[in-house]
Amino acid sequence: MATYHLQIVTPDRMVYDGEAEKIILRTVNGDVCILPHHIDYAVPLAIGEAKVTDGQGNTRLAACNNGMLSVHGNEVRVVAVTFEWADDIDLERARRAEESAKEMLDKLQREDVDFNVAEARLKRALTRIQVKG
Amino acid sequence: MAGSSMKAIKLRIKSVESTMQITKAMQLVATSKLRRAKERMENSKPFATVSRETLTEAVSQCDPQFTPFMEKREVKNRCYVVIAGERGLAGGYNANVFKAVAAHAGDTPYCVLPMGKKTIDKFQHLHVKLLDESLFHVEGLGVSTCFRLANQLIEGYRKGDYDELVLVYTTFQSMMSQEVRIEQLLPIEKPENETECGVVTIYEPSPAEMLETVMPDYLGGRLYSAACDSFASEISARRNAMDSATKNAGEMISDLRLKFNRARQGAITQEITEIVAGAEH
Repeated sequence: MATYHLQIVTPDRMVYDGEAEKIILRTVNGDVCILPHHIDYAVPLAIGEAKVTDGQGNTRLAACNNGMLSVHGNEVRVVAVTFEWADDIDLERARRAEESAKEMLDKLQREDVDFNVAEARLKRALTRIQVKG
Repeated sequence: MAGSSMKAIKLRIKSVESTMQITKAMQLVATSKLRRAKERMENSKPFATVSRETLTEAVSQCDPQFTPFMEKREVKNRCYVVIAGERGLAGGYNANVFKAVAAHAGDTPYCVLPMGKKTIDKFQHLHVKLLDESLFHVEGLGVSTCFRLANQLIEGYRKGDYDELVLVYTTFQSMMSQEVRIEQLLPIEKPENETECGVVTIYEPSPAEMLETVMPDYLGGRLYSAACDSFASEISARRNAMDSATKNAGEMISDLRLKFNRARQGAITQEITEIVAGAEH
């Protein structure tokens, strides 16, 4: 199958740099799937599951959080704030984060500045648990 | 007389020797830290370059009136993000950064988001308004802290606390040379040589909205990579400074040894002359 060059970067490292067949990502407008020879495209990412199929046809799951996706020619770049493969996710930590985020949300009102922060934290924790599980 | 000068020289040698021990130890510490710092810097680079390229593309297809991030305002107040060291003894590392800020600022009033203890001290001394005084360490600066700062900076920019956001940091070029860089973060300049590539990128929802959403992430990543870059520069600057200090101390010691031996020789010669003179009579 045809492939394209995929780069996944986060602020602290290059997570993936190689050939890929397919990537499915959660964007602000919903899930998108990028196949080879996609038209030039750019979109901000949301918090959600990412599914990468590499050049050999192996599919891996990851938890992806914010950033953007850009397709330029046959170059696909995912610039994410965090991007963790399912194997690297610390389930204990995610569970703890879920608990503390829920506690925070209980105390806060919808108008509070921190409400969105806590909500995003809960979303991230839930995504990690989902990807791992 | 000869005896007292010999003693003074001996003391000098001792004190230079102990200074040399310290500079040598600092050099070793810097050398061992350097590898990690360089690694961190290399790892932080792709994010900054890739996100910058993508963003610049979006900017070139974006009408300035739709986004506050591109709108040029009259500059009444600037905000500098200044990254320097936590400690001194790194040659001109800290001083160069502060000089660059002073030269760039001119007469325009400004506020500073300082990183590194030296930066905080310096601008406190100048009575400049500081946005945050908690960032003592550049070494252990985390990604999440950078994102928090980025959001804080963007909020201030939106409110109009400042009309330009400028980053001042040091970039690591090689072991021997580090260069101070001044980079305007906000508003984003539209690239001048627009590339006509025939294919128009589709932006969802729109270039302007994309810019809005992605800007905090980009800025956070930029701050992080600049901090890593600066820290690697600081360490190598310190290594170089301590290296030459150690060398100088070595030279000084051999110089003093020579002087000491001459003085000793002089004293012996004098004694012999005195004895000989006494025997003749």
